Amino acid sequence: MPTGFCLWFSGEHANHCIMKLHSSIGILVSVISASHAAVPEQVNFNQHIRPILSDKCFSCHGFDSTHRKADLRLDTPEGAYADNDGVKAIIPGKPDESEAWKRILSKDEDEVMPPPDSHKTLNEAERALIKRWIEQGAKYQKHWSFEPPVKPAGLDSIDAIMSARLNRDGLKIAPQADKETLIRRAAFALTGLPPSIAEVDAFLADASPDAYEKMVDRYLASPRYGEEMARHWLDVARYADTHGLHLDNERQMWAYRDWVINAFNENQRFDQFTIEQLAGDQLPEPTQKQLIATGFNRCNVTTSEGGAIAEEFIYRYAVERASTTASTWMGLTAGCAQCHDHKFDPLTTKEFYSLYAFFHSAADPAMDGNALLTAPTIKVSTPDSEKKLAELNAKVAEKEKALEDAAAKLAYTDPATIQPRPEVKIAETVWFEDEFPAGAKVQSSGHPLKLRTKEQGAQVFSGKVAIKRSADGLTQDFYNEGAAPLVIPQDAKLFAYVFLDPTTPPKSVMLQFNLNNSWDQRAVWGESAAIEWGKPGTKERFNAGPLPEKGKWTRLEVDAEKVGLKAGDRIGGFALTQFAGLVYWDKIGVTGKVDPANDPSRSFLAWWKENTGKDTKNIPKNLAKILKDGPDKKPAAAQEKKLRDYYLLSVCADTKPALAALAGEVAAVKTQRDDIDKTMPSTFIFRDMEKPRDSFVMMRGAYDKPGEKVVPATPAFLPPLQKQGERATRLDLAKWLVSPEHPLTARVTVNRFWQQFFGYGLVKSSGDFGSQGLPPTHPELLDWLAISFREGGWDVKALVRKMVTSATFRQASKVSPELVQRDPENLLLARGPRFRLDAEQVRDNALFVSGLLNFDMGGKGVRPYQPANIWEPVGYSDSNTRYYKQDTGAGLYRRTIYTFFKRTAPPPYMANFDAPNREQSCTMRERSNTPMQALQLMNDTQHVEAARVLAQRMLNEGGADVSARITFAFRTVLARKPEPAEMAILQKQLAAHLIRYQQDAASAKKLIAVGESKADTKLDPAQLAAHTLVASTVLNLDETVSRN
Amino acid sequence: MNPLLEYHNSFTRRQFFGDMGLRLGSAAMAMMLGETLGGKAQAAATGGRVHPPLPGLPHFKPKAKSIIYLHMNGGPSQIDTWDYKPKLQEYFNKDIPPSVQGGQRLSTMTSGQSRFPVAPSKFKFERMGKCGTWVNTDLLPHCAKIVDDIALVKTVHTNAINHDPACTFVMTGREVPGYASIGSWLSYGLGSENNDLPAFVVFTPKWPEGSNGQALFTRMWSSGFLPTKYSGVAFRGAGDPVLYLPNPDGVGGGDRRTMLDAVNQLNQRNLDRFGDPETATRIAQYEMAFRMQTSVPELVDINQEPQSVLDLYGEKVKQPGSFAHSCLLARRLVERGVRVVQLFHRGWDQHGSLPAQLSNQCKDTDQGAAALVMDLKQRGLLNDTIVVWGGEFGRTVYSQGTLTKDNYGRDHHPRNFCMWMAGGGIKGGQVYGETDDFSYNIVENPVHVNDLNATILHCLGIDHTKLSYKFQGLDARLTGVEAVKIVKGLLA
Repeated sequence: MPTGFCLWFSGEHANHCIMKLHSSIGILVSVISASHAAVPEQVNFNQHIRPILSDKCFSCHGFDSTHRKADLRLDTPEGAYADNDGVKAIIPGKPDESEAWKRILSKDEDEVMPPPDSHKTLNEAERALIKRWIEQGAKYQKHWSFEPPVKPAGLDSIDAIMSARLNRDGLKIAPQADKETLIRRAAFALTGLPPSIAEVDAFLADASPDAYEKMVDRYLASPRYGEEMARHWLDVARYADTHGLHLDNERQMWAYRDWVINAFNENQRFDQFTIEQLAGDQLPEPTQKQLIATGFNRCNVTTSEGGAIAEEFIYRYAVERASTTASTWMGLTAGCAQCHDHKFDPLTTKEFYSLYAFFHSAADPAMDGNALLTAPTIKVSTPDSEKKLAELNAKVAEKEKALEDAAAKLAYTDPATIQPRPEVKIAETVWFEDEFPAGAKVQSSGHPLKLRTKEQGAQVFSGKVAIKRSADGLTQDFYNEGAAPLVIPQDAKLFAYVFLDPTTPPKSVMLQFNLNNSWDQRAVWGESAAIEWGKPGTKERFNAGPLPEKGKWTRLEVDAEKVGLKAGDRIGGFALTQFAGLVYWDKIGVTGKVDPANDPSRSFLAWWKENTGKDTKNIPKNLAKILKDGPDKKPAAAQEKKLRDYYLLSVCADTKPALAALAGEVAAVKTQRDDIDKTMPSTFIFRDMEKPRDSFVMMRGAYDKPGEKVVPATPAFLPPLQKQGERATRLDLAKWLVSPEHPLTARVTVNRFWQQFFGYGLVKSSGDFGSQGLPPTHPELLDWLAISFREGGWDVKALVRKMVTSATFRQASKVSPELVQRDPENLLLARGPRFRLDAEQVRDNALFVSGLLNFDMGGKGVRPYQPANIWEPVGYSDSNTRYYKQDTGAGLYRRTIYTFFKRTAPPPYMANFDAPNREQSCTMRERSNTPMQALQLMNDTQHVEAARVLAQRMLNEGGADVSARITFAFRTVLARKPEPAEMAILQKQLAAHLIRYQQDAASAKKLIAVGESKADTKLDPAQLAAHTLVASTVLNLDETVSRN
Repeated sequence: MNPLLEYHNSFTRRQFFGDMGLRLGSAAMAMMLGETLGGKAQAAATGGRVHPPLPGLPHFKPKAKSIIYLHMNGGPSQIDTWDYKPKLQEYFNKDIPPSVQGGQRLSTMTSGQSRFPVAPSKFKFERMGKCGTWVNTDLLPHCAKIVDDIALVKTVHTNAINHDPACTFVMTGREVPGYASIGSWLSYGLGSENNDLPAFVVFTPKWPEGSNGQALFTRMWSSGFLPTKYSGVAFRGAGDPVLYLPNPDGVGGGDRRTMLDAVNQLNQRNLDRFGDPETATRIAQYEMAFRMQTSVPELVDINQEPQSVLDLYGEKVKQPGSFAHSCLLARRLVERGVRVVQLFHRGWDQHGSLPAQLSNQCKDTDQGAAALVMDLKQRGLLNDTIVVWGGEFGRTVYSQGTLTKDNYGRDHHPRNFCMWMAGGGIKGGQVYGETDDFSYNIVENPVHVNDLNATILHCLGIDHTKLSYKFQGLDARLTGVEAVKIVKGLLA
């Protein structure tokens, strides 16, 4: 059996990136109170007992029926109180008569619970709690998060609820922090950046009672707000710029990242935000934006590894999407149930696969093809590009009409109908003039085909456009399918016009012809060895002569027989090839003896007969049938005329030249249009297959072991799903998630925002609201926030404003020894939140305070400074993200949210500060504190450069003396002035560095040369170097990398 | 693990600076350490270590203190290295008998082949050492000399048939991303004895040009759900050995010291003001960073090694980034008390041109790997160090693509492959497990990847069932939830 292992495919178990706090918080809420204090007066099932039973008992005596032992379940009162052959596990009020309690106390290895082989034990505190709970009647409660939230009576604000909670512990909300601390805290919380000195001054100067609220509102209105909010969501959405598995090639879906930023900036309602991401494609006439939003469920990692089995990955992707959706909106660790009924929560395997069925019919393939774009995708237009496209499309239609009119008026007599039959003669047949033969599917190596006009600066021999190609090595434009075959006449000479750029000429140029699907018909001009195909000196690589003169149009000509083509051969395509240089190509064709009456390029009838009975591709649809039927079927005269007009316009060598000018105009406009279209980016979207796949329970999580059939449905322990049709859709699912009855979505969402602003969620296990997760530290507050968020129209900015303007958020963070002892993790929030900045904030801060930060928003991921050898040692040989090519200029200084993110080798400055690798959804980041972080902040080029540029600001803007400059740096970075002692420390440091660099000018110059930006030459290098290290000192402070 | 222990542990770990805080004279820190944690007992438990072990670990007296794991990425052909199959010569270019193939799952790279012709190894095998283990002496002349020290396991098997999931599985016990790697588990559980170097060091040496370099994934040495500080620190073959290690141009050690003194004094004031223990940790980490700036260059400076040692590792030992160089550094690391060292050598994915490519692969690694074991042994370090060699799966007996006597390729084969182990806790000079005449099925003593990992943990003093971490509501373990056995036969 290929999949014998239960948790094999369980990406869903990986939905958190961090659970460090998990157990420690449980302690605050339950165990510490039990071990440090006495057992509480009144034991509460959800608060005290469920965590114990869930961890220690439910795996054998819980919801999972297949693993249940002794037919006993302790997760329901019915099960616990049941009379089992005279034995009752729990008798309310009577612990000593309860079998469960007796077993807990037993010394007998075969009797004691939990059994020794479970590796679980109950400590004294836990036992005391259980005993008291039974004494008090063993009352059960449904798991708290599955009950609807209830508004606490009489309390209607964050602070009121917080105060009430703190009062119970004899605590109160701490005094407000000073204004400088407050503005820095709010600015980082809302924009991910520190306040500027001007912002600090304005806030300090504003004595009005709502000065704080006004400051908050300014930040809420800043576009930086959306960027800061989005990066948290992108962790959950597991967004990145590569596929993630095996080759880990680039994928293009940054439009989704920009959509998220924009959604927060526009303050899109969270219910709509939900619906569009899960089911934007199923909305009536979805807009482009709504389709982009569905990228949420295309962000998962995908593979195209040779040898991988498609069914397995179709299965895995659906499991991953179902699990991510469940954890993101419901805080459910649903993936456990992929192998067995959930042991701790009432989720059956069948219910898990019913959720999975919503995502199982995804239209994207199992193998991503290692492609930049894996269907389904859409082009992403901007209002500007849409307008231009519409204009050009109208112009194309207009020009085509003119051309058709001209064709209809042409005097043409079919040589096949002329008597006596026209003579065989030498004639020229042009295959390319402004466009390739009708229907040809043109491909290119190197950049895509460029057809350029004189107005666009190109050399053009005839007609409107020429092919422009510049190359480093071997490149070509070619086609070998789509067009009707080209016939080689007798005594044929093949020709093409070329113009070689005088300053960057190619090493060689080549014409190549496709005969019977072989390209071994080649003629080379110039250095034959530069082109490695075919045997030199044979028709496979005929040496047709030296390169023609540079800087002028030259007709290249070669006898067809030299390249192995004889009269009557039908070639399926040709290629224009060059090695290096810049070449213009124009007017390509053949001369030779033709018999006009039999030549499909000259006789309409001959052409028609030639194609009779064949499926000719790329001919207009309305003409395909009559062409195939042939002249003998005698179509209606009007239809025949249409076919003839098409022939004269697109095929006939005698008439095409007469129409060339008009045709060239069409081609030129089309080229402009296609160029816009080609430069438009695309993005991954989610869509279902037309016919849904059948979904099954997969036995023990094995992709090849289908069991019972399932249809899309939601778990029974949650409110019923309202279906619009027979089969439930993702749209139904999304609407169900944001329905007022749903007990989880609003709670999970407000909790994640709380975590963002206060450091930890009210439910610390922000990705697990099930019974193995942690209970809320402030259940009333969580419920109040959830209800007011939902009732207030899912207004994210309003919710954020409520949090950030609360007195709870504004508390000073100073901690007393007593408080740190009582609440080391600040779970009760009797002091302000203080924690380390996130990776993006650390880097953006350095760029911002130095003035290097580029505020451009959106677009393709950029590649800032990164030490050598991050991608290279891990990248697959053939991966297109094997080599890191650093940007220059603006790309070095964009906000970190725009950094190109390669999943298998994330940017080191991100990983170093605990950014997740985006291989799976992450609801909470770790905050580590390591020497590697110190090394980065001291030595990474981007931090050293930022320090030097900040030093330049100190010297240029900071004032005339040392203390003014140090004050400037302090205020710029920390929003406050240094204390005298701090000033003294830095002055002493500066003096020491200055002496040293004045004695060693060479070292000073080296230090200030770090980074791409140039040091200010007006400044003394020793001064600048010394100030650089002082600036670096300030940037390395604990206070700098913390949000206080 | 017990949540209370976990809590205390996370707290003590954050406060490992212990003596550092005191040395810096912070009254606040002394107060907090003492009063919050019930004092000296906790401080003593960490022993002033930067990478302390979890309380209660190791679970029992370990046989090995350190591990060096040589991962041969891509799937080395067991048939052409260690699993000698003389009978295959009669089957040259004959289809593998259906009774052997047995309708097993194939990768889609060969599942479409019309024939499955047997490709015998073209190489010479000899019995080597006192134990008489068969080795391909054409390709592994150096490793042939250490057979009396190694336990060759011929029957490792895995769940996955493609690189990405198989690599993820062999290192994390799961096929999908998100789980902790074996190295992270070990540094999490056991900490490390060196205060100036990371607990878990990774090398990604260069590999031969012409070989098919499959991708590596940082998840193979990442901490997954464990705190990120347990991720392996990748030492680099080119440029600085540790990211961001050297000071910028123009900044000398003295300048750095001057700056650090200012940083520490300012941070100390901040600590006094806000009392945040993280600030004290940061002070300690800056000092650790400063020490690493000295300890790492000292570590990678192999000039003081005697010529005889350099000769043991061969010519390439002098090239930073080579496999031999990385092997020597691995020895120097465990010598300094570093807990886990992993080398990830790429290029072992021989779907075609196997004889030529495999020769290059072996030439690149054979001497370094053998030298490592010999060098550890001659220094008396082998008793304390477990060395592991192997890839993520094996290769098929039948040829993929062209088959001649001298040229063939092989597809992925997860059903059995060879790994070897040596050193602390391992009984050397033995061959464990047997496969059929086609090296296609295990006939005796299978060793699942999870069994192997459980055995490695065992040698390091860890009961794999007890080293767990609460994740997604489960007690996640390296070895998963199914029955896993410690391979007793491998133990000394």
